[in-house]
Amino acid sequence: MTGLAAYVAFLGPVPGDSPATTTATSAVPDVLTGVPERLWIALFVLVVGVVSAVIVGVLSRRLLTRAGVPEAIEGTAFERTVREFDTSTVAIIAKLSAYFIVAVAIVVALTVAEVEFVDRFWENAATFVPRLFVALLVFIIGVVVGDKAELLVAERLRGVKLPEVGLLPTIVKYSIVYVAALLALGQVGVETLALIILLAAYALAVVVLFALATKDLLAAAAAGLFLLLRQPYGIGDEVRVAGQRGIVQEVDLFVTRIETDGEEHILPNHAVFRDGIVRIRE
Amino acid sequence: MGSLTDQLGDLVEDADVVLLFSPTASFYNRFEGTDSPVAVVAAENAVDAEEFVELPLPFENVRDRIRFGIEGAMDADVVDEGDEVVCVISIFGDAIDSVVRVSVDSTIHTGIYDLFVNSRADPGVIRDVFEVAIELGQKGQKGKPVGALFVVGDAGKVMNKSRSLSYNPFEKSHVHVGDPIVNVMLKEFSRLDGAFIVSDSGKIVSAYRYLEPAAEGVDIPKGLGARHMAGGAITRDTNAIAIVLSESDGLVRAFKGGTLILEVDPEEY
Repeated sequence: MTGLAAYVAFLGPVPGDSPATTTATSAVPDVLTGVPERLWIALFVLVVGVVSAVIVGVLSRRLLTRAGVPEAIEGTAFERTVREFDTSTVAIIAKLSAYFIVAVAIVVALTVAEVEFVDRFWENAATFVPRLFVALLVFIIGVVVGDKAELLVAERLRGVKLPEVGLLPTIVKYSIVYVAALLALGQVGVETLALIILLAAYALAVVVLFALATKDLLAAAAAGLFLLLRQPYGIGDEVRVAGQRGIVQEVDLFVTRIETDGEEHILPNHAVFRDGIVRIRE
Repeated sequence: MGSLTDQLGDLVEDADVVLLFSPTASFYNRFEGTDSPVAVVAAENAVDAEEFVELPLPFENVRDRIRFGIEGAMDADVVDEGDEVVCVISIFGDAIDSVVRVSVDSTIHTGIYDLFVNSRADPGVIRDVFEVAIELGQKGQKGKPVGALFVVGDAGKVMNKSRSLSYNPFEKSHVHVGDPIVNVMLKEFSRLDGAFIVSDSGKIVSAYRYLEPAAEGVDIPKGLGARHMAGGAITRDTNAIAIVLSESDGLVRAFKGGTLILEVDPEEY
């Protein structure tokens, strides 16, 4: 209380202060009544802010735990690093949201108190703090999701015994982290145009390469879909496709397997579709 | 007198290979650094063993399990004919409780590993068909035993060596053995007469097929009925394998190349 009184004394007479309150006589009531009403409101806002920050912190931690976030992000590099500092991702996010509310409460309190000389600064801060909060949140989520994606892709590829395949999870991870960093930087107002162009070029390269590489596969799958749905020929039929005559052994999404004595022809489905099918009836 | 270890020590003496059947990680680690090579036989390689044989079925019959493990190890060149193999295996319950010493000679080779791994159809498909047949054997229909005949792999050729008894309920469908829906359809399966044809990739191609293979030179035990004869004969005529559930004794039998390879009692699973 005395601290606040000293603070008020330091502020001195604030413009708009009614002169009636400053004329009180006795010492303690003088200080109490000397405090303008809006300072009380500001204090109240501050206390409510801190209390709700604590509640939100606890609530968000529980909600995140209930939603299974700790299990979902278990084993990610970020979570492991954070664990070394005796905390967890969930705790960090909960704390972040609590701090955010405290910061907002301080800004609101200062605005209510109409503290003049800090006005300019806080006006900017009031708009900047939420952005910083969102940026931090986006970045943390980006890093965690990137880590998790890396783990999932690596797990998926474990069966593939090819050393170069180890590069893929890392690429996936850093792509996600890059996008998250872009979003975060955009939030706090850093100029990201050059980075976005870089991202666009990267995305375009990936899409073009992917389309080029899988052109035939996509065509085969499209034709295979038709073949599977309509079944113009089935297993056991004798057919001639692209000059190959034989008995159909298997039709799947991408290829048709046709077998003659001792020879098995594996034909891509779009070849079947393009060249037509001859069903042989005896 | 000496302790039991002295008396029974010669059981594991100068073994060429040790086969561990479904060991726990700590049990497997105990064998690190032993002189003889160690191979693991289990449903999945949970201990990251270097030499590993995948067990497609948990063969209740211990002889079958050991045979499968040894044949798998022979295929991986861990075991050769003439080796002395020590199998560490569980017979009662899940914990490892037995040590079996086997001399590998030509009689051990029954083709049980070959049936699963070197058939035309995928090993997973054969396992799934086995599971369907075993479940059908356990359930029966309304408590009565049922029979069934599955011909797996080389479906095109099998289709050309059989004819339809009725409309094919699987026409234009894309049901694969191992799909969850197959378990729901099991009860329907037991009503259908004739053979089921399953392709290499596990697609159920047809039901109600009457098999017309040439039955010459098929050697199956006397006393088995027409279903087994048809199943055995089609595997001789084509590269398919046949998995037959007997209506009379309730056993599931597998044929390959016209001979009986494996007998499994569904009640034990």
